[in-house]
Amino acid sequence: MTLMNMVQSINSALDIKLEEDPKVLSFGEDAGLEGGVFRVTENLQKKHGEERVFDTPLSEAGIIGSAVGMCMTGLRPVAEIQFSGFVYPAYDHIISHAARMHNRTRGRYDMSMVIRMPYGGGIKAIEHHSESMETLFAHVPGLKVVIPSTPYDAKGLLISSIESDDPIIYMEPKRLYRAMKQEVPDGKFQIDIGKAKIVQEGSDITVVSYGAMMKEAREAAILAQKEGYSVELIDLRTIYPLDRKTVAESIRKTGRLLSVTEGPSFSGIGSELVTLANEEAFLSLEAPPTRLAGFDTIVPLPKGEHFYFHTADRILYEVEKLVKY
Amino acid sequence: MPEITVREALRQAMDEEMARDDRVFLMGEEVAEYNGAYKVSQGLWEKYGDRRVIDTPITEYGFTGVGVGAAMAGLRPIIEWMTYNFSAMAYDQVLNNAAKTLHMSGGQINVPIVFRGPNGPAEFLSSQHSQALQSIYAHIPGLKVVSFSTAYDGKGLLKTAIRDDNPVMFLECELMYGWKDEVPEEEYLIPFGKADIKRAGKDVTLISYSKPVRMVLQAAEKLAEEGIDAEVLDLRSIRPLDEESIYKSVRKTNRCVVIDESWPFASVGSHVAWLVSTNCFDDLDAQVEFISSEDVPMPYNHTLELAVQPSVEKIVKAAKKVLYV
Repeated sequence: MTLMNMVQSINSALDIKLEEDPKVLSFGEDAGLEGGVFRVTENLQKKHGEERVFDTPLSEAGIIGSAVGMCMTGLRPVAEIQFSGFVYPAYDHIISHAARMHNRTRGRYDMSMVIRMPYGGGIKAIEHHSESMETLFAHVPGLKVVIPSTPYDAKGLLISSIESDDPIIYMEPKRLYRAMKQEVPDGKFQIDIGKAKIVQEGSDITVVSYGAMMKEAREAAILAQKEGYSVELIDLRTIYPLDRKTVAESIRKTGRLLSVTEGPSFSGIGSELVTLANEEAFLSLEAPPTRLAGFDTIVPLPKGEHFYFHTADRILYEVEKLVKY
Repeated sequence: MPEITVREALRQAMDEEMARDDRVFLMGEEVAEYNGAYKVSQGLWEKYGDRRVIDTPITEYGFTGVGVGAAMAGLRPIIEWMTYNFSAMAYDQVLNNAAKTLHMSGGQINVPIVFRGPNGPAEFLSSQHSQALQSIYAHIPGLKVVSFSTAYDGKGLLKTAIRDDNPVMFLECELMYGWKDEVPEEEYLIPFGKADIKRAGKDVTLISYSKPVRMVLQAAEKLAEEGIDAEVLDLRSIRPLDEESIYKSVRKTNRCVVIDESWPFASVGSHVAWLVSTNCFDDLDAQVEFISSEDVPMPYNHTLELAVQPSVEKIVKAAKKVLYV
């Protein structure tokens, strides 16, 4: 066990897989020599060589297009997109090729790739650097979307992602990169994709979140406890495929749902969770299933950022409203 | 009133707006000399010439970007994508440039542009040419998204879209171009954000938009044969969404089925189902049912192709389920 932040635990996962499997490659803009703008891939090129850990031109369509080709020849690429806001020139490659190839070739080709990208706000960057757009990938069949919220989960989930034969969008909450440290095993371990984690058991209300918002959700759960409300807190970890069973069982137990997500609200993951509550637990509901999603606007510039992100207080306010409904 | 096709209604809308405002121009693959892949721009090149009806190279990223730039410079482009499937190539131009520039320029630069073309499944077009992509556009702050189910609505909404000072995603359907209905000869506009009751009823609200509306009306007729009086609400404008009309109808019928031909996860349909579950919680006598296309890439085989999409049978079954009959 070593005390690691999320940057270190992701680096450790990549290091282990590069060591273990010669088919694994890691590449992206400045992700080779420099070790990435957030230093997530630091020292990996030195250790594993320029043929397996390398810099690419500033061409996201090129990066993902190459990854598709690599998968077709049996490699297991891990492509880094510098910020999730830059991924859209590659959107067609992701939804029309990576997501479809397995299906279109009747299983002849696997798209065994991981697309890593830092997402979300909170580091006082500008518009294209602050969004939380997991919905745009979760909506598309053929892709899996994984978002960790702790250093421990980040490592276990990334190792599982690299070993998965399906294309995985692995989104890293950049404001948590160095926000906390945790004991993480030095060796290899895995966390199943598609399994949510019950972080805290409770009986009054189910709060579901993931990624960066888990920090505020955890704080809100503590505040709620002081107010006498028992919160069951679930960290989805995998957004798609969604662990419907764990979420539905919890809602049936507590009778209430609050989802807390960062991205824009319209047709977001929060709507999906409320629809799930309605479909799977309608007759158990004691209050309207509710979501706290991002405001339906572009993430404000640094000075206005704190208006956009949900605070623990705002979550507590919603919890209180629902429990007293 | 003359009965005209959807194709002709859209052509008239563009023709009238081009005659009215010489800043309006049409650009896309094959829109000029060939009159459009689906003949929607029939005769416009002959009438308005090379400067206002422009054939482009086969590069969505290029001509979409040129369109966004032209809009910033004060023109009012209509960009035709041969189908919305190819818009994924230009996703970055739409999401990062068209949608955000008004915000990023502090309100100084409008982007008055219309992106139009067929969206959603037609027939025998397999996974890359049958996508219903409205949800990935409706999720993005800064865009307006509209659809229609009749020639009348199509014409009125397209004229409004061309006059709007913001980027508008205008969704058409291949299979609808030949549909006919009555369209008046005098000019009219249909405002955004107004849903339309296509059939009044009192027992259950069926909410849909775009091509499936016709199928929903057929389902309503079937239900009527069994004594069930369904109300059919055509959203028309997806973003902005006419929430008031949705609630008004559901509060009257107390039951709701949402029908959307997109994929289910984090979709326009699940968003509407969320709105109803949360805001009509105390009015609902049954859970909200949601019928979408199945969460898979579109199969080529025609039997499977039809099986994954919403159908009259599925709608009737869902309506009966929420009525407990």
